[in-house]
Amino acid sequence: MIRRATFFLFMMFFTSGISANELDTNDQMRYQSLIQEVRCLVCQNQSVAESNAELAKDLRREIKLQIQDGKSDIEIKTYLLDRYGEFILYEPAFTQKTLFLWFSPIILLLMFYGWFRKIGN
Amino acid sequence: MTRRILPLFIFFVLMGFLAQSLFDSDSELPSPLIGKSIPQFTLQNLITEEMYSNEEIIGEISLINVWATWCVGCEIEHEFLVELSQDENLDIPIIGLNWKDDDQLAKLWLNQLGDPYSIVLKDPEGKTAIDFGVYGAPETFLIDSNGIIHFKHIGPLDREIFERDILPVLGELN
Repeated sequence: MIRRATFFLFMMFFTSGISANELDTNDQMRYQSLIQEVRCLVCQNQSVAESNAELAKDLRREIKLQIQDGKSDIEIKTYLLDRYGEFILYEPAFTQKTLFLWFSPIILLLMFYGWFRKIGN
Repeated sequence: MTRRILPLFIFFVLMGFLAQSLFDSDSELPSPLIGKSIPQFTLQNLITEEMYSNEEIIGEISLINVWATWCVGCEIEHEFLVELSQDENLDIPIIGLNWKDDDQLAKLWLNQLGDPYSIVLKDPEGKTAIDFGVYGAPETFLIDSNGIIHFKHIGPLDREIFERDILPVLGELN
């Protein structure tokens, strides 16, 4: 199991490591997870990790550069948010605007629970 | 009765929302840069090869147009940009940002199709384009004399869009 997981991880780095080989292991992992959280805006249903669009390449390069510059994940995400807005991150930030979005599953669940109980009675 | 109708009602409301997003073909995303200053940069002039900073290109209400010779939409809007640049009543400079392009091809394009730009700066690496939040050329920004972005249009510009979306904002600025 562990061996398989290691193999999978290895393959993941191996296949999508876009000349990021100069990063050390820790930074490499940050890079991999960051580029999967960033949406490619030209091809809106892919992350920049998956996309071959020019803009995705540029964004990957920029993210890598910023990691090398010692920027934190939050700093890098803020950099992207300031320029492209909420939509660039797959996971929306927890703000007043997205409060409903975040809590809607719970609200819906409670609503359905109440409704089913009423019907049950 | 209400108990039976309510789920149906919720269903239709949901359907309504889904249908709306299905037919809403507008894939333009709002730019967080509206109301903010243009980003800092130092870029080379395509023609004269002199360096220009963001401070040096502002001072007048202008349009910033992101274009490239590889961009199909740019070819579509080019004729209108040339028309716009010759409009003396309007008299609005168009600053070109040549995005990830080949210098020779870009110069050839301007020679053949006409040059609507007051200045063309080149961004071969696409770094400044990222700072402008560009995701698909052509994109056009309307900036005031202080370099504040007031409007952004994504996609080819034409007279209809210009008169509908840009002229009103221009009116407010003047």
